[in-house]
Formats: sequence, C-alpha cells, structure tokens
Amino acid sequence: MATRVVEVAVGVPALAPERPVTWPKRTRARLSNGLEVILAEAHSIPKFHGELFFRSGNAAAVLRAPGLAEMTAIVARTGTAKRVSRQIEEDLRRIGADLSSSAGADTSGISFSGLSEFAEPLLGLVNELAREAAFPPAEFERERRQKLEEVKMQRTEPDFLAGERLRKVLFGAHPYAQVAPSEAQVAAYKREDLQAVYREFYTPENALLLLVGDFDSNEMLKTAENVFSKWIGKKPETPAVPAPANPRGRRVYLVHVPGAVQTQILAGCHAITRKHPDWVKLGLTNSLYGGAFNSRLVMNIREDKGYTYSPRSSVNALRQNGYFSVSAAVRNEVVAASLTEIFYEMDKLRSLPVPEAELADTQNYLSGVFSMGLATQEGLLSQLSVVALNELPDDYLETYRQRVRALTSQDVLATARKYLDSSNMQIVVVGDCSQIEAQAALFGQLDIYDAQGARLS
Amino acid sequence: MKRLQIGIESAKLANGLDVVVAPDTTAPVVTVAVYYKIGFRLEPQGRSGFAHLFEHMMFQGSANAPKMQHIKLVNSSGGMLNGSTSYDVTNYYEAVPSNALERILWLEADRMRALKVDAENLRNQRDVVKEEVRVNVMNQPYGGFPWLDMPPVAFRNWANAHNFYGDFADLDAADLADVQAFFKTYYVPNNAVLLILGDVKPEEGMTLAKKHFGDIPAGAPPPFADPTEPEQTEERRGTVEEKFGTLPAIAVGYVLPKRRTADWCAVALLDQALHGGRAGRIHRELVQEKQIAVEAGGGIDDLFGYNGPSQMTTRIIHKPEYSSQATLEAFDALIREVQQNGVSSDEVEQLKVKWRSDYYATLEGGRGGYMPKYGLMHLLACFTLFDHDPQLVNTILDGFLAVTREEIQAVANKYLRNEKRAIVFRTPVKASAPSDKKEAA
Repeated sequence: MATRVVEVAVGVPALAPERPVTWPKRTRARLSNGLEVILAEAHSIPKFHGELFFRSGNAAAVLRAPGLAEMTAIVARTGTAKRVSRQIEEDLRRIGADLSSSAGADTSGISFSGLSEFAEPLLGLVNELAREAAFPPAEFERERRQKLEEVKMQRTEPDFLAGERLRKVLFGAHPYAQVAPSEAQVAAYKREDLQAVYREFYTPENALLLLVGDFDSNEMLKTAENVFSKWIGKKPETPAVPAPANPRGRRVYLVHVPGAVQTQILAGCHAITRKHPDWVKLGLTNSLYGGAFNSRLVMNIREDKGYTYSPRSSVNALRQNGYFSVSAAVRNEVVAASLTEIFYEMDKLRSLPVPEAELADTQNYLSGVFSMGLATQEGLLSQLSVVALNELPDDYLETYRQRVRALTSQDVLATARKYLDSSNMQIVVVGDCSQIEAQAALFGQLDIYDAQGARLS
Repeated sequence: MKRLQIGIESAKLANGLDVVVAPDTTAPVVTVAVYYKIGFRLEPQGRSGFAHLFEHMMFQGSANAPKMQHIKLVNSSGGMLNGSTSYDVTNYYEAVPSNALERILWLEADRMRALKVDAENLRNQRDVVKEEVRVNVMNQPYGGFPWLDMPPVAFRNWANAHNFYGDFADLDAADLADVQAFFKTYYVPNNAVLLILGDVKPEEGMTLAKKHFGDIPAGAPPPFADPTEPEQTEERRGTVEEKFGTLPAIAVGYVLPKRRTADWCAVALLDQALHGGRAGRIHRELVQEKQIAVEAGGGIDDLFGYNGPSQMTTRIIHKPEYSSQATLEAFDALIREVQQNGVSSDEVEQLKVKWRSDYYATLEGGRGGYMPKYGLMHLLACFTLFDHDPQLVNTILDGFLAVTREEIQAVANKYLRNEKRAIVFRTPVKASAPSDKKEAA
C-alpha cells in the first residue's frame, strides 16, 4: 500500500479570541431532614431537569443478588401508597413530565424533567416514589418476568457480552465484576429483598437532589423543603470491600457467538477514580489515543485502514476504582491486525512525546467540548452531578479548562506509561470461534466462553 | 402557560442558498449545519446505499481541506461534528466554541464548492460503511428491525422500498464517477440550507455566510424522482429471519398523511396516545396489562423531517408463549378500541401538555448528550427546505394544541386501516422454547 502523504489545509481562517465561559451560580442547601440539594438556574426553555441520587447502587447489594438495586429502582416506580402504576404514568403525562428510575454500580436514582409550571406536582411524585413505594406484588412479578426476557436478550448483544466479560476479568471477586444478573438470579429475586434495599438506600441522608432549569432558586428551594421535609431516614452502613486484584500479564478471552459476521473487540486495564489527581491527565491522554474522532486510533484503524466504523477508547470511573478501555467492532479477517494497531498506538504514546501541535489541538478539543455542557439543562445537570457525586472541588467547572491547558507533553508520556498498561491489558473478543480463534491466540493465553458465560476451553 | 419564542433571521443568497440564523447566548457555543435536500429515496437505482456512502465521502476531503483535515480542524477548534442521511435530507453539522465560527463556515463552504476525493478514499469509506452496516444491522439482534425490514414490504415504488443502507454489491459497484455526478447534481447551494445557531449576532452570521458561500455557483435545479406510491388497497405482509435474538417480533406500519395537511396534527396526537411512552396505549396494554410483549413502542419516526410516503410503525417483541396471531389480535383490539371510542377529553388534555413539553425539549435538546441545538437545527432546516418558512418553528405548536378528540377519533378510523398497513414478522431461527402457548384474552 502506498504511503499517504500528510496534507494540510490551505487558507484556514484563524480562531477569534476565546470567549469566556460563565457557569451559572450553584445554590447549595441541606433541607431540615438532611437532604442535600443543589440548584442551578438555566432559562433556555420553560422546563427543568432533576435527579434524586442515592449513594448506593448495585455494588452495595451484590452480595444479596447482582442487579438487585436496579430491580428495586424499576419496581419502585410502579406503585405508591397513593397511586397505582397506571395513575403514575397518566399523572406524569398530565404535567408533561418524563421520569425514569435506575441504578448503576455506585448509585441509584430517579431522574425527571418537566414543565416549570408543574414543578411542585412533579417533585411531589418524586417524593412519593422515594418514600412510599408500595412494591405491588403483581407489578413485581410482571417486572421480574420482563427482566428475565431482558437478561436473555442481552446475551445476544455483542457489546453487552464484551463488557460483561471484561468487568469479570478486571474485577474478579469485587462487586464491580457483576454487571448483570443471570436468569437464575432474576428468578430468585424476592419482593421482600427489593423492599429491604429500598428501605436502606432510599433515605434523605443518603440522597442528593439536583435541580437545573427555568426557576428561581430561592422559590424552588422552598418548594423542595415543603415537598420533601417529612421524609426521614439514616445513611446506610456501607460495608468495606477490599480493592480488587489487578490482573497481571496480557490474556485473551473469546466469547463464542456462532455465525457472528463481525468481531467485537474490547480491551481494558485498571485505571483510577474520578477523584484521583491524575484524572485530567488521563482524560487528555485518552483523547489523544482514541477518545475523539481526530484521535490516533480512529485515524489509524478507521480513516486509514477501514477495519471498523466505531473505534473508541474511554476512561471509566467507578467510585472505588476505574478502568481504561478500548473498543472496536471489526471485520473477522482483521482481528489480529486491529489488535496490532491498538497496541502499536498505545506503545507509541508510551514511548514518544506527543508533538506540541497535536497536544494543543487536543487541549482545545477537551476545553471546547467541556463548555458544551452549559448549553442544555440536561448537560448542565450531568456536569453538576459529576462534581457533586465525586466530591470534586467547588470550582471544578470553572478551573477545568486551565488545568487541561497546563498539561505538557511530558505529562502525557508519564500518564500513558502509567495507565495505558499495554503489557497487562485484558483482551475480550466476541465473535465466531472458527473465524477468529487463531488470530486471538496470538495475543496471549486464550480462554473461550459461550454466550451464557460457560467456559468452553 | 409560558410560550417559547425563538428569534430567527433568514435570507436567500443570490445563488439560491437559504441561510437561517438563530441567536442565543446561553453558552459561548455555536452550532453550524448544512442540510442538502437529498436522501435515500432519491439515490440512483442500482446504487442502493449511495446517499449514505456519499455522506461519508463528504468528510474525505475538499479543494482546500484534504482528507483528515475536516475532522482535525473541527476537533482542534474545540468542537464536534457528524453527519447523517435520512429519507429526504442529508445533514452535516458541527458544534464549536463560537470563536471558531468563521473557520467552520469556511470548511462547510469549501466542501460545498468542490469535493476532492480519490479512489483510495472511496475504498476506505466503503469498508467503513460495511462495518457500520455489520455493527448496526447484520451482527445485532433485531438489527434494522423494522426500519430496514419494513420498506420493501410496505412500498412498491423503488424510491421508498429499497435497502437504504445498501446491498454490498451496490456499494462495491459505486465508483468515483458516481461520487462526482451525485455531488454535481444534488450538492448545489440552491438545494441546501445553511444554519447558524447559538452564540452569533444575526448580522455577523449573515455577513459571514455571504462571504464564504456567496460565490459558490448555483447548479441546475436537481431532478427529483417521483416518490409517489400507487394507492394501497390490501394489507401487505412479509417475514424476515432473526439470526441472534430468540423472541419473535412484529412490526405494523400504517401509511401517514402528507406532512402539514389537515390530518397531520391529529395523527401526531394519535401517535402520542398510542406510542407515548409508558402511558401510551400500546405499552400499557401489551406490556403492562396483557403482558404479551417484552417491548412495545415506536411511532412516527421524525414527524417534521419526512417529505414523501412514510408510516407510523409499532414495534413489538413478544413472549414466545404467545403466537404471532394472538399478539396481532391483541394489537388489533387496542386499535379498534381507539377507533370505536376515541380518546377522552381528559386524555386529550394530557396529550397536549405532554406534546408541548416534548416540543420544547426538542427545541433545546442535543443529540445523544452532545451537539447542542440539534433539535432546533433539524426543525429549522426541514421547515426551510420543505415549507420555505423557518418561522414555523414558533407557530407550528398551535396546530397540535388545537386538535380535538373528534379529530383524533376520525383520523384513527381514516388511517389505521388494515388495507393501509404492512406487517413484518421477524422470526427467530433459534426460538426460545415457549413454556406453554397462550391465546390473548
């Protein structure tokens, strides 16, 4: 193949001076019942967004059953002491609201949005769901059956299978290893178990209420006090979990999907939490590597070689840990070739300083896209939640851009050497064994599983 | 009731390019887009998938910004970019800090003026597109269901009925001459609209638009293949094999009225009554009450953005113990219910409040958590290209809020007819063993 000459654009207009970014003032308060509240005004549309977070999620309930916090969140919205499921859904529609409840590894939450004119009834419903969920037996049975079909269906999705296996490999005996329940575990869920999780996790002292949108903060705070003040409850005991072992040496895990016409690659290694002082450095390093369209990996295996449509790397934060990962769905013939490039780009960043111009481009990218969080109520809420849930400094949003710009090429080299741990990457490939086994085996000791998680060899 | 009013300036340049500027200083961010009035429907026969493949080529280099430079210049200015192809339009969009506005306009103008790509670029993107099709369709459970499965069953005119992602043989057959011919025919300023939204002053936006786009020569008005369908007089059915998933699935699509006709607003509220989330009748009946379906939803895909034959499509994945027949009967029962009894006045009030709330969310909302103002951009583009009236964004809501319950019942009877629908059965090769067959009550 001919070497492509690197061409540059001609006559590109220069950037005008950067305009200041002004993040809205945050109002912080603690209601009389201990509920922490953060509000920010954003008047783009006559609506508001909110989320009631609980600082306990699936990891905190994993010893009882994987996915139990998620199941609790799902059933919690299906009935309260005052309203049956159908009433809840119609009442939401009546005030033009959307609401969802879910749980991740570290938090559970009720997320909602609606018209500002109906803020009080919407908060009232959220309060009811957080405080008086009834877990109607028939709704529980229906949702459990639903979940059973969902967990079966997940096992036919390549990206789910890859993610599930990688988490098992990276986190071993730690609760973070379990991303979804098995069918048998779902079948064994009991309504009482959900109610116990609900009683423990859904308390004001364990919660954080974030509200962003078209309202006056002082008035909204009064409304919140009126709505939530009767709700009481203590913070749950959080059992200490030992840190997971960090797997050493590169190994390969193949999940066999007969007939797959493509291979999902997902490789990863331990990284850091959101609070870690290296977080911004690793974010920048990830952007250079594969975290942006213009990144090295995307330019290499997509724009140059055409192996894949959607290669991407990311830094994934969990409360007690974190991991770096890189993914690409590639054609079956180029699994080994793609992995070679994935490691080549990692090792290159670990060995050679990034040219100054490329560093500046990437700093511009991170700095620019960060301020887009300001443009929508939902984006702002998401930025505020990251700061609050990870207990980042109050001025995190205001200082992020300058912290990105202060980093040097030496910082990137050191960060890549520390966290793009190419010799200890755990590689998962999901595809048809007959097409890819030999290619996968070139990259380390190979274990093969079926889609149900049973070891084949 | 607080109404939202979007400030809009619009003009047509001498070369026929429409320009729409909507200033808003919420964030120092500007969203720029160019919409071309060309989509899947109009791609040439024998070149299925070409409109989308071509969209990829628009990122491969233009006269003064060679391959890799489009992506690099946007990202390194602190912005994000993408493009997408749909039935009747193809869009290219960027959200950047507003200090990069002129650079982005220069880039969009450069690729409207002259595409500069070679055979190697085309080979590369053909490979990328094939992996896109594999990751989204061929290697996914229920991939392409029903958006790719439905058209060949529902429609008779090739424009509406072909494989929009493209048969691989057609993708392979596409060459550079096709790329340049398509560009020359459809990518002319008089077939496009430029949108500048966010942190921009109206006169600044207009001046920069003229400066960078004003001298791009107009082309001949592009020919448009007639997408008209012969009158449908019988229910149409088809079956597609499901390779990975183990649950049977059904999609039912009803032909929609033309956009902005008298029935259009009422059908949109009917759609909300049927498919509006967990309160919608389809989810409520099939998932929550009768518990036949694992997933049931769907509805009108892109109400404002279609400009030819289209459908309101329900997508149902159901439990194996219910037959397709029983599932369809349960679906038909709820359609009959809305035809016979309509919706209550309480329900229609709920639908309207939700409609208004959703409309505001569309105007503000980004796309998948990024790309601020994607929704407003899309509406302004469609109202300009199809209706020549971007101000519709401020007035169109009134039509939906004026719909009566009688009108909803009337359109349920007029459009939800068996002879106006098509049904696709997606049948698993490896079916889950049904615990016991049940017929729906």
